[in-house]
Amino acid sequence: MESVFVYRNPEPAPPGDGTLAGLRVAVQPNISVTGWPTEAGSRALERYRAVEDATLIRRLRTAGAHLCGSTRMSEFGFGLEGSRAGESVALTEADAELVLDLMGECRAAGLRAGVCAYKPSYGLISRLGLIGLIPSMESCGILSGSVDVIRRLLAVMAGPDGLDFSLPEEPVPDFSPGACRAAAVIGVLAEARDSLPETERRAFDSVLGEIESAGFALRELSLPEYALFPLVHGIVGSVEASSSAGRYDSVRYGVRAPGAGNWNDMYLESRREAFGLVVKSYLLQGAFFQFKRYGAYEDACRIRARLLLGMDRLLGQADLLVLPAPGAAPSAGRLGEVLASFDPSMFANVTGQPVLCLPADEQGGAGFQLAGARRGDARVLEAGERLLNLRGRE
Amino acid sequence: MEFEAVIGLEIHVELNCATKMFCDCPNRPGDEPNRNTCPTCLWLPGAAPRLGRAALEKAALISLGLGGELQPRSAFDQKVYYYPDLPKGYQLSQAHLPLSRGGGIEIEDGRGGRKTLRIHHIHMEEDVARLVHDTEGRTPVGLVDFNRAGAPLVEIVTEPDFRSPFEAMEFLKALRTRVRYVGASDCSMDNGTMRVDANISIRPRGSTELNTKVEVKNMNSVRHVGDAIAFEIARQRATVEAGEAVVLHTRLWDPDRKATFPMRGKFEGPCVPDPSVPVIELSPEWIARMRARLPEMPDARAARIAAAYEFSGEEARFLCAEAEVAEYFEALVREGVAARMALHWMATQLLPALRERKVDPGRSPVGPGRLAALLGLLARGEVNPGAAREVLLRMFDSDEAPGSIVNAGALQQESDAEHLAALVDQVLSYHPAAVRDIRRGQGRAIGFLIGQIMKASGGRANPRVVRELLHQRLSSGDGPG
Ligand SMILES: [Zn+2]
Repeated sequence: MESVFVYRNPEPAPPGDGTLAGLRVAVQPNISVTGWPTEAGSRALERYRAVEDATLIRRLRTAGAHLCGSTRMSEFGFGLEGSRAGESVALTEADAELVLDLMGECRAAGLRAGVCAYKPSYGLISRLGLIGLIPSMESCGILSGSVDVIRRLLAVMAGPDGLDFSLPEEPVPDFSPGACRAAAVIGVLAEARDSLPETERRAFDSVLGEIESAGFALRELSLPEYALFPLVHGIVGSVEASSSAGRYDSVRYGVRAPGAGNWNDMYLESRREAFGLVVKSYLLQGAFFQFKRYGAYEDACRIRARLLLGMDRLLGQADLLVLPAPGAAPSAGRLGEVLASFDPSMFANVTGQPVLCLPADEQGGAGFQLAGARRGDARVLEAGERLLNLRGRE
Repeated sequence: MEFEAVIGLEIHVELNCATKMFCDCPNRPGDEPNRNTCPTCLWLPGAAPRLGRAALEKAALISLGLGGELQPRSAFDQKVYYYPDLPKGYQLSQAHLPLSRGGGIEIEDGRGGRKTLRIHHIHMEEDVARLVHDTEGRTPVGLVDFNRAGAPLVEIVTEPDFRSPFEAMEFLKALRTRVRYVGASDCSMDNGTMRVDANISIRPRGSTELNTKVEVKNMNSVRHVGDAIAFEIARQRATVEAGEAVVLHTRLWDPDRKATFPMRGKFEGPCVPDPSVPVIELSPEWIARMRARLPEMPDARAARIAAAYEFSGEEARFLCAEAEVAEYFEALVREGVAARMALHWMATQLLPALRERKVDPGRSPVGPGRLAALLGLLARGEVNPGAAREVLLRMFDSDEAPGSIVNAGALQQESDAEHLAALVDQVLSYHPAAVRDIRRGQGRAIGFLIGQIMKASGGRANPRVVRELLHQRLSSGDGPG
């Protein structure tokens, strides 16, 4: 079987006593580490090596973490086809793994590997050096068996760096437990629960029971437009992807189709060869909306703003929200099936809110998502850790 | 049928910031190719654009200098097109929320009236790379120079208010003056720091319809813009008169053939907001600070100078067309030079000499202080005008004070009547024919005689005294003859 890693760092763990000293961190090769092959799982980046560290990598190094290697990933981290994300942690080859979350990939990988997965608030971690596809929706997710490791990594990686101006100039929140008022009321989104098939709904209801017995109050909430999250993601995300991927022209790196007579044909034929079926379909979907249905794109942007307000309103009525976990992502398939499998996780990429996803446990407890308000990461992690500890005790 | 033209301009101005728009690379496109590059302006995967403060400030100054209204919120979009000069696949530009809206410039319409040409909006934009076509052996190759990639630009988009090539040319000259005043660009069409595209359509005179327009590019002087517009108006009129329809497309101006030719359009789609550059929010305080940094603009300055020194509008506008010229003039006046003398010497001596030497007025080797010292000698009669002109030319190649140059060159004015009388008599004795002509009423010869006397004095004679002596001699009937 193929190795989980596509690249292993030959250097030994750095000595030192930083806050992350001794911690082994695996990354996916769409996160820039100077000199490492950084092909983002795509032939469009064949032979590309990062020329500088991503900001978050620089910070991990400074804190003494050991960057142990990069793991096999899906093309541009979109979906999980060909991805082995999460296995480095499950196989205890790493203490944490960094996986971009475009529509829920980090969370789906955590569920698959049986480890905790965290998607931080958008705008908390510098995107400098991340080779993403959907810039307004993706953030660098963290996979680990321990919420405390996630918290420590987040504390190191978060905050403006003066190099990614898209980060708000706000002070970095304190992520330590006890730094914020702990969650007391957890909202249950009726539309998310009701969309589940019978067996999954029963499993989710037993999660709700667990939460209640952990001392949280449950409150049923409603967001009638919940079903629009995937629609908005599908339009805005694909348009951004189509624009972002325009830079892969196979001139300085990437697979180049031979024999083209001029630059235009070279672009067309190289791009035909470089992208896999799912990504290519997604890029075409984006190009369709941008060039043929621009009005739909504008509508989607407006609806997105409304969904953000709706989610803010819900988080005024509850401290956190609990939502069912996304289903298993297909290991291969057509774009429609891939997108459908991420329907339950896309909301957080549309809104930019933080989500901790706990995996199913050995006693039959289902996986679930715990979502908070934007920049309310500390509260999500605190409550998630409490629930995880209770599960471990049973 | 009588037609009128409807013309709008899109003007790209490259800002003279020290660094590029979204990274810290030097903004020097002319350096050795690809020297000024980094992951951001090479558009490598993972790079993040960081909007520089200087670009925003200079763009804001241009907007205010052109009467625009800075918008409290503006943002960058991705202008998608695929071309080798843009390997990122999109250009960062402000398509939906521009930096500034409105504004305009008042020009003289060429028929004695004034006309305001309105600006629709002004937005910021990054420049693209430069393509160089070359050959390797016999194989043609396309090379890409990224020094210009990410250079800061503003685009000034006008309303379709122009009706003639003349108006377009006047507007561009006035625009260039204003942008130079705020110190944001040298606006050289020759060097490509100002690039102009014209959108042209025609319609029956008196109609208000807007017909299919044609975009014309590639003019590298203000005159070419006028020529290209004139050509395009004539071409469209001929097309319509032949019963054909004007087709929407882009044409390139060919200055050698003095004609426009159709070009293949770049594929361009609608813009989507860029998530990497934050929305630009300008506070009223920031806008007020920028406004306070705005220098006195040319119209206001010309009005003030005309009133203060009793100059005609034309004279004042001449002085104010370049900020450096106006500053030089005002410095001369502060040094005590009479305003009209300062204007006269700048217009007839200093500026032509600087032009000949290809030196900007702001870098003149003869600064206002030294020129004022020279003009002081002239005003006090210590040198005559001819010698002063000579001293000025010598001052370009010497750091010495004008007084020393006068002494060293023995150029002091000779006003001593006794001494000059001898010189006059001598010259008259050499030229009896000229004297005869004058006595017969042919006054022209008097200029010749004055010239000869000046020459005999080594250019130092006081022309007023010489003229008086000559009149004395020639009317008294003395002297040779
Ligand atoms: Zn650069």
